[in-house]
Amino acid sequence: MGIYTSRNKLITLEAAASIIKDGDKVAIGGGLCLREPIAMLRELARQGKKNLHMCGTAHGFDIDFACGAGIVGAVEETHVSFEQDFGLANNYRRACESGQVKVRENCCNSIIQQFRAAAYGLPFMPIMSAKGSEETLLHPEFKHIICPFTGNDLILVPALIPDVAIVHAQKADIHGNLRIEQPYVADILMIRAAKNIIVTAEEIIPEEEMIKLGPNVPYYEVAHVVHAPWGAHPTSCYPYYAYDREHISHYYKITQEGAEAFKTKYMDKYVFGVKTMDEYIEKIGGSERQKRLASWKNGREAWMELYNYE
Amino acid sequence: MSEKFKVTLDELFTYNVAKTIKDSTLVFHGVSSPIPMVAMYFAKLTHAKDMVYVGGVTSAIDPNPPFFPTTTNDWTMMQGRTAMITIDKLFDMAQKGELHRSFFSGAQVDKFGNQNVTMIGRPDKIKIKLPGGAGGCNLSGDCINYTIWTTRHRAPAKGDKRIYTLVDKCDFVTNVGHVTPFGTREQLRLVGKGPDWLVTELGVFDFDPESKILRLRYLYPDITVDDVLVNTQFKPVIHPEVRIMDMPTKEQVELMRKIDPLNVRKNEFPPKELERQFFI
Repeated sequence: MGIYTSRNKLITLEAAASIIKDGDKVAIGGGLCLREPIAMLRELARQGKKNLHMCGTAHGFDIDFACGAGIVGAVEETHVSFEQDFGLANNYRRACESGQVKVRENCCNSIIQQFRAAAYGLPFMPIMSAKGSEETLLHPEFKHIICPFTGNDLILVPALIPDVAIVHAQKADIHGNLRIEQPYVADILMIRAAKNIIVTAEEIIPEEEMIKLGPNVPYYEVAHVVHAPWGAHPTSCYPYYAYDREHISHYYKITQEGAEAFKTKYMDKYVFGVKTMDEYIEKIGGSERQKRLASWKNGREAWMELYNYE
Repeated sequence: MSEKFKVTLDELFTYNVAKTIKDSTLVFHGVSSPIPMVAMYFAKLTHAKDMVYVGGVTSAIDPNPPFFPTTTNDWTMMQGRTAMITIDKLFDMAQKGELHRSFFSGAQVDKFGNQNVTMIGRPDKIKIKLPGGAGGCNLSGDCINYTIWTTRHRAPAKGDKRIYTLVDKCDFVTNVGHVTPFGTREQLRLVGKGPDWLVTELGVFDFDPESKILRLRYLYPDITVDDVLVNTQFKPVIHPEVRIMDMPTKEQVELMRKIDPLNVRKNEFPPKELERQFFI
């Protein structure tokens, strides 16, 4: 929310991350292992952020990474896992079980309606469901009412206004117009719900080109734009690159070894040990890896191979 | 007589899940759902050609994926689609009573069909943090019916105890079955009618209409009623006509193998279970 009219919103990753304060409520775009703003999360870790309150729908690598990096104080996502590929998210699990992270697990429609209320300028939205579920115990802020029209028992979920939404888009211009390719997951909604909006983008394109393509988020909704090629890696950002199953498998094995191993074998190497995106790309396998992750375009066999690769 | 044709457990299991889908209905699978993904596509290519397939968080309508990936949110799940919707629209449809079926699972499933996807332990003392229910807490209330599936019915022994998936009472209820910790579905006036099937690697259950307790209907050919009882913490209702389940045809099994070349459906099973095979 807010109307942003600056003609040039382009800032660096470092400057964008420094806008986020310890304890902020942060909505993360994308979902599961698709189009998550991982470059920004790495930068938040380098800047040593603390107690971030993460909110969103069904996520995976992003939240697990952020928990392992020690920048999270509460998680309000509806699901955090590596699905049936690798299973339970070890960093997330450890952080929840030790009490380092407060479990505020939410449910997809409940939180979507909370974002909607914020986006619609309303204090709450009513829902028909969540009744009977103990997830309501994790949300004492939800209220029950008897509907004055139907007499039905409704749950009211309050507007959820994140301090900042971080979304990774395929294309942006410096004015803030965006082209996000489907699936949008909850991104377009959280951009309208949050107080401040930071977008990292694979490509910055000229405004004339963007207007021809047709933006699906108008410039005035976006506060800051960061050029971050490969900014969603190791999650996918189609059409540029598929999910890096090899890297995620490597990451997952390290998370199984425990919190200390994660710090020394993953954080030191891929986060604290790199200063630029080019250095990161070298660490993950350089242009060979980039070429392989873009090879999904070469047809079914090539695409399938990426999912077979460990 | 032609030679016997081999069917593996994962194939028979997925076939059972597919059979819970009716033609001309709107069906959605959630996250971490390789078996429902394959079962939905299989149903659409066989007995449910007019089913509306809404694919997970990706939310493509009627995709024809070149293969099933190891995540539910991927561009493979948009290939050959008709329209795209966004996930919020799926939840609106469910709330309006327009979502006919979905699929949910859990580390624990209790006798009334409630499922735990949140935690082993309680909020003040979490022993194991599970991934979370994603949309299940809402959709298990809203969708007209749903299928529960678990590939971990068999309860391994730990010392003199067993660790059950089918439990008398869940540590924590994420997704709602027929009788919740806060009352029955009727008392809560939920939109949907609740779970109507449970598919496990030992059998297929529906619910006893009176007691709303899980009722054993069909067994795998290598499983007995006693096997089910030993691996279930509560006493399920046994249908008077409980019998061995129907088998798919050779053509149906070949179709399933063709649409799921990466065998993502197998990822859900403990390796030992995948050794089970049947012949038709």
